[in-house]
Amino acid sequence: MTAAVPSAASAELSPGVPQPATGDATSPATASPLLLVEDLEAGYGPINVLHRLSLTVYPGEIVAIIGANGAGKTTTLLAISGIVPARAGRIVFQGRDLTAEGIPPHEIVRLGLAHAPEGRKIFPRLTVRENLDMGAFTRNDPDGIAADLEKVFTLFPILRQRQQQPGGLLSGGEQQMLAIARALMARPKLLLLDEPSLGLAPQIVVHIFQVIRELNRQGVSVLLVEQNARMALKNAHRGYVLETGRITLSGTGQQLLHDPRVRAAYLGE
Amino acid sequence: MEGWLAPTELAGGFLQFLILGLVIGSLYALIALGYTMVYGIIELINFAHGDLFMLGAFFALGLAIWPMGVTTAEAPLPALVATVALMLLLTPLFCAIVNVSVDRVVYRPLRNSPKLTVIVSAIGVSFIFMNIGLLWRGATPVKFPDLISDANLLEGTGLRFTWKDLMVVAVTVPTMIALTLFVRYTRLGKAMRATAQNPVAAQLMGINVNRVIAVTFAIGGALAGVASVIYGLYIKAVDYQMGFQNGLYAFTAAVLGGVGNIPGAVLGGLTIGVVGELAKAYLGAKWSEAVIFGILIVVLLFRPTGLLGARTREKV
Repeated sequence: MTAAVPSAASAELSPGVPQPATGDATSPATASPLLLVEDLEAGYGPINVLHRLSLTVYPGEIVAIIGANGAGKTTTLLAISGIVPARAGRIVFQGRDLTAEGIPPHEIVRLGLAHAPEGRKIFPRLTVRENLDMGAFTRNDPDGIAADLEKVFTLFPILRQRQQQPGGLLSGGEQQMLAIARALMARPKLLLLDEPSLGLAPQIVVHIFQVIRELNRQGVSVLLVEQNARMALKNAHRGYVLETGRITLSGTGQQLLHDPRVRAAYLGE
Repeated sequence: MEGWLAPTELAGGFLQFLILGLVIGSLYALIALGYTMVYGIIELINFAHGDLFMLGAFFALGLAIWPMGVTTAEAPLPALVATVALMLLLTPLFCAIVNVSVDRVVYRPLRNSPKLTVIVSAIGVSFIFMNIGLLWRGATPVKFPDLISDANLLEGTGLRFTWKDLMVVAVTVPTMIALTLFVRYTRLGKAMRATAQNPVAAQLMGINVNRVIAVTFAIGGALAGVASVIYGLYIKAVDYQMGFQNGLYAFTAAVLGGVGNIPGAVLGGLTIGVVGELAKAYLGAKWSEAVIFGILIVVLLFRPTGLLGARTREKV
């Protein structure tokens, strides 16, 4: 696998990437957040998984949520996209209160929020091309869709070659690329990525993160959850540490990378 | 001895039964598609589907008698064509509306309930439909207007293929082709397949899953409606229990082909039609069901996912 985006080859944050309004992640910023999650509670059946979870994503940011298995990372993203209903608190995207307005998941996508879910959830018996068509389901601008298709094929050249193959026959790395590409076809302002590195070979993980940063340079904000804390924090502007449904730490990616608690618990040092 | 034919007669007979089997089988296939599409998308075996087919036949019966008063094939051709066209237009619409309403009122509130709850509800709907049929037309079979000629189109070849047979083929084959093209190439068709393969991911794509499910019930219902008109015109008698037996055959066809699989339902329908007719011809009518279900058991022993279930596995 060769890197498709040479401009994103550096593993460090490049200058010129929009930074959050203040260095301190928890203080209110002057720019209005793209996504605001406040005191969110969500769960399954009698179990509450998230406990008064709050986080923000500002326009132009890459924000990472790190945490162990079962901490509630996936539930957080599913609640933001409306799949798991919020039991309390609010989720505001671009000034619209998704929870108060009771906007169903299929409408949330139209607001500019796309989600590449855990385990990729590729449509296994649709071709790669049909999977991408489904990503653009909410749109009816054929020219824009064609342009975006070209764009994702440039980001992930392998998908162009595999266009006519069923999604289920792709390798894990290719499926992850397809999941991200499919989400991009909605032309989102905010991209939710659930464990983009899961089960992938290290050089493919590097490639995926290069693409994430390239997308971010092109103006897409990203909220990603990862067990691969090092990779996530290296590439994110800001990060949150999630433990048993609560945010226990937050800061810039660099701050968290050097925080002794993070180093001990998540970086194996 | 009865049943023993000369070799040439036997060959001609075989071809004849094959034709008959394919005609009957394409009717089963149309009904089977309704089972398989609904199963493909919400994994529900819709036991009420056969009874919906029966209600469709009763509705079509009303259309034949009421607006035009056309009851025999001797009526003027324009009136005949208009009557059949009206049946083929309004009956599918009626069945689609009924099927969508049942989904909205009965199945949709149970979307997150255990599968068994929904299946038992479907059995309940089946009984309700059957009793509506009983109230509507009574318990005895009702004559369906004989609107299509029985004249043989293959006169002189020793084979029999009537206008009625032609009608069945002329309606079912284009309907099945249209359905296949719809599911394969249209935006909504792709959304149906996507929803069948992963409903959560489909929602994340912006697909309104409940609407896609409603469309699936509408299409399945419409196919049952088409099948009911064809059945009435072909068999010329309808009764409130016709949904049970034909539904059972069609369901068997869907399972034989691989439930959830569209080409599988067609293949299963044709297989059951042909096998049933051949068994009737060579073993006697009493053996036909035993042979059909025997074949079902054998196929499922060796291919538990049905004839096409494992290979293409195209749900919806």
